[in-house]
Amino acid sequence: MELFATIFAMTYQFGDAFAFLVISCAGLAVIFGMMGIINLAHGEFIMCGAYVTAASARAGLPLPLAILCGALVAGIVGMAIERTVVRHLYHRPLDSIIATWGISLIATQGVLIVLGSTMQGIGTPLGSITVGDRSYSAYRLVLMAAAIGLLVGLYLLFYHTRFGVIARATIQRPQMARALGVDTRRIYGLTFGLGAALAGLAGGLYAPTMTMVPTMGSTFIVESFVTVVVGGADIFVGAAPAAAILAVIKASLTAWYGQLFGQIGLLVAVIIVIRVLPGGLSAWLKRSKQ
Amino acid sequence: MPEVSGSFLDDTPVEQRSRAAIWLSRLEGPQTMGRGPVFWAVVVLAVLGAAIYPQFTNPFAVGNTAYFMVWTFMAMGLGVVWGYTGALSFGQTAFFGVAGYAYGILTINVGAAFGFTWVALIISVALAGLIALLIGYFMFYGRIRGVFIGIVTLSVTLVFETFMAQTAGPQWRVGDARLNGFNGMSGMPPLTIPWFGGDILLYPGIGLYYTLLAMVVLCYLGLRMLLNAPFGNVLVAIRENPERAEMLGYDIRLYQMLAFGLGGALAGLSGALYTAWGQYITPSSMGLTAAALPIVWVAVGGRRDITATLLGTLAVLYAFQTLTIYGSQYALIVMGALLVFTVLVTPDGLIATAMERIGRLFGKTRR
Amino acid sequence: MTQRVRLRALAAALAGSTALLAAGPLAAQDGPIKIGVLEDQSGDFAAATNVKVNAIQLATDEINAAGGIAGRPVELVIYDTQSDNRRYQEFMRRVLQQDEVDVVFAGFSSASREAYRPIVNQFDGLAFYNNQYEGGVCDANMIVTGAVPEQQFSTLIPWMMETYGPNVYTLAADYNFGQISAEWVRQIVEENGGTMVGEEFIPLGVSQFSQSIQNIQGSEADFVVTLLVGAAQASYYEQAASADVGLPMASSVNVGQGYEHKRFTPPSLADMHVTTNYIEEIDTPESQAFVEKFRAAYPDEPYINQEAANSYIAMNLYKQLVERAGTTEHDAIRGVIAEGDVCFDGPSGTVCLDPKSQHMSHTIFLAKVEDDHSISFPKVWEDIAPYWLGDAGCDLTQDDPSAQYTPSNPPPAN
Repeated sequence: MELFATIFAMTYQFGDAFAFLVISCAGLAVIFGMMGIINLAHGEFIMCGAYVTAASARAGLPLPLAILCGALVAGIVGMAIERTVVRHLYHRPLDSIIATWGISLIATQGVLIVLGSTMQGIGTPLGSITVGDRSYSAYRLVLMAAAIGLLVGLYLLFYHTRFGVIARATIQRPQMARALGVDTRRIYGLTFGLGAALAGLAGGLYAPTMTMVPTMGSTFIVESFVTVVVGGADIFVGAAPAAAILAVIKASLTAWYGQLFGQIGLLVAVIIVIRVLPGGLSAWLKRSKQ
Repeated sequence: MPEVSGSFLDDTPVEQRSRAAIWLSRLEGPQTMGRGPVFWAVVVLAVLGAAIYPQFTNPFAVGNTAYFMVWTFMAMGLGVVWGYTGALSFGQTAFFGVAGYAYGILTINVGAAFGFTWVALIISVALAGLIALLIGYFMFYGRIRGVFIGIVTLSVTLVFETFMAQTAGPQWRVGDARLNGFNGMSGMPPLTIPWFGGDILLYPGIGLYYTLLAMVVLCYLGLRMLLNAPFGNVLVAIRENPERAEMLGYDIRLYQMLAFGLGGALAGLSGALYTAWGQYITPSSMGLTAAALPIVWVAVGGRRDITATLLGTLAVLYAFQTLTIYGSQYALIVMGALLVFTVLVTPDGLIATAMERIGRLFGKTRR
Repeated sequence: MTQRVRLRALAAALAGSTALLAAGPLAAQDGPIKIGVLEDQSGDFAAATNVKVNAIQLATDEINAAGGIAGRPVELVIYDTQSDNRRYQEFMRRVLQQDEVDVVFAGFSSASREAYRPIVNQFDGLAFYNNQYEGGVCDANMIVTGAVPEQQFSTLIPWMMETYGPNVYTLAADYNFGQISAEWVRQIVEENGGTMVGEEFIPLGVSQFSQSIQNIQGSEADFVVTLLVGAAQASYYEQAASADVGLPMASSVNVGQGYEHKRFTPPSLADMHVTTNYIEEIDTPESQAFVEKFRAAYPDEPYINQEAANSYIAMNLYKQLVERAGTTEHDAIRGVIAEGDVCFDGPSGTVCLDPKSQHMSHTIFLAKVEDDHSISFPKVWEDIAPYWLGDAGCDLTQDDPSAQYTPSNPPPAN
């Protein structure tokens, strides 16, 4: 029993770090990993999802619906931004840094002015479970399940639906896709919207566990970029193992040496991975498969 | 044999003169905008204008303009690395911070006597350049390219920030200098000029203003010459097509590394000057927001020309500060909108585009 | 484009840039007393600091309605520092050099204070820092009205140990405030015969606490001292509550500053104990009157925290100092402080300035957060002096080291 409790504790910590990395990076994996847009407003999409989730949960919507609502609104906002700004930047990705940073400034400060400096949270549902002599938040287990569900769902969407095939084709060979009659502008818009919606989903899922402030998205941004970069260009091959490896590094460094080394370890891991595997894990995995 | 030695002596100056003339001729060239007497007349006028500016304004505005000039070195360095070499560094602030802390540690321990502050400045800049060379070696010889350079450099600066933020305890000290964690290190002297009857302290004011003005002008002219030299041509060749440059026999890794080291040293110059300016340096100077700022300055001005970079940086710094003074809470929104607008309307940068537009207005022919 | 054209373009741009840099000088005038206000009205710290600006405005309006300071009206020069240390440096210079203010009210984070302090010293200005902080600033150009660790911990920790038990776990932000406060906690726990069963430092900006929660549960702690700072770290409470940690908590920084009990869903902050010199729930007549006039002026204010009260008190203290000195000259003002009887009856009771450290004595309230996030006050300590700096050897009436000291880095003995 003692042993089981210890193993559960370790697995829980690993799963928690894994879930955080996967959920926070999913949106960025689509927008940055696939489309190549360096989206510094990723955190603000997360914030948008979290705020909408909290507001609708407060208005009486059940939490799962409220989270979906948050994702949906973030997605719509994302598509609007794609239509007005990002669309013009596909051929110069580095400029997207400036534009999305501008959007992030506007979003953070706009929310501060309109909605005030904080928003009341909604509280974590589901209470706690006890294993051995320690208790754990049950909602965190839901988050772990959600992370796995998210990976499976994305895989199915991009590999087993018509939209997924067309989207991948459009992003990899836009001219060819256009020649085959695909409305590539629409596909770009939808894909960007999907990325924003995934970010909103991350916000919605973590909204019950966090402080609601306009700058809340910034706590996600480093971790998500790190995961996407380690994962490499093909997010479906790379993201899951990347999140798993980084979760092990982060959870064990945090457990043994404290949070400081957890943070620094993550960043150093990225530098090393980029140096050793310039294409990220996905390129390496693909190459070793061949 | 006096004749022989005479001819020997004669030769050397001629050689030097011609070499100097070559370098001077590189003040204008294919990699920089602006040439001919009218251009240089305007440059001289601008410098003269800047030189008499303190006569027409109050001490705050002089010190404040000096403060703006502090940042231009980092921006010009990034202009070389990003605009000319094509490697977007997201972590120039790492070198900024290294040099800032180095200046603090050196001057707090040794003091400011006999103009040591300048020695400290040089050592700090050299240290920043050296670290940049090391990181550049690590990246470019590892064939890291594109956006991954941005990620690696950003990670480096964030590691420095996270580490420095927790050095509050008394055990984190170098000699007499306490790193002092997130609150930042203070107590270092400003730059000094040794003078009869006591050092001149270069607090932000007229003295520092002229010192910085001279440094900006020298740095600007020096970079112009370097960028129009073969070195600069190779950098641009690498930016335009790395494979082609390599086929032509250039070791592009070496050139990229050297450019990166130069950019790092210039960022370090800004860092050491900033520390001397405010007698304060903090880990948040290496954080995410601080790291994004140089990119904004360079992109808004125009990254592919050193003149546009310089003017753009000054313009953005001035505009953002003015907005913050008069725009209250809406300042950040206006800044954000300005950035989006700039990127959408003037892809080559606000200043660079403006220079071309104005030129077209006067010009008879079009490109 | 020909080279000549290119050159003309550049010439025009250069000429434009010189014009851009020319800012008109502003003449300083006599007449009103000018007060600079540098506070973070946007950015990370906005939640806790907007209210300070309103409190200063409220005090100013009252003072002006009653005839000003020594007959001179008060004029505020307010800048938004955007939670950015560089803006503090720029604007501190601006208010001192260009606006030529008589006094500055500035700063939320300790980093911002350390950023502007060299500039205040260079121009020999006078600044009020109206924030609770880690203590130790011994600088004649600074007057601190916020509470410091000896005031908050020498009261809080012994009470907690008596009530809940001697085993203490500290969870602190990994920077100056957290580390120095943790040092104080450690020292006081040992002096009172207790044990530190754990001490953990969290980098700023970390928002995920599963591992820390597990560490706390694995220890034998009777209560947890949480010295967490910033919006991201505040997520700890929600996460600890959902993992059912169930231990009493003690803090010097929560509730009184960021009103977490209002922002979070009950009962995530239940059993939190905070020593503060003011919060709006305090039900003395003075406090209620303050809340009433504050709400009348600013009905939308989410919460009136201790920094708001400190800022309000600081305005009134400055009024008294100038009127007693008969001038805004800083040496004369310091002379008045040296008399040692500068006191004010404000929203938090009577407070007095200590001449040695230029810090302020406080009535310290122990605020306990109940299950429904209402506040009760199990204990009140009257007139707690900021004794540490003076005892350690800082005496601003004698000399001015302009330094910040900590228990492990005390003033040099002489």
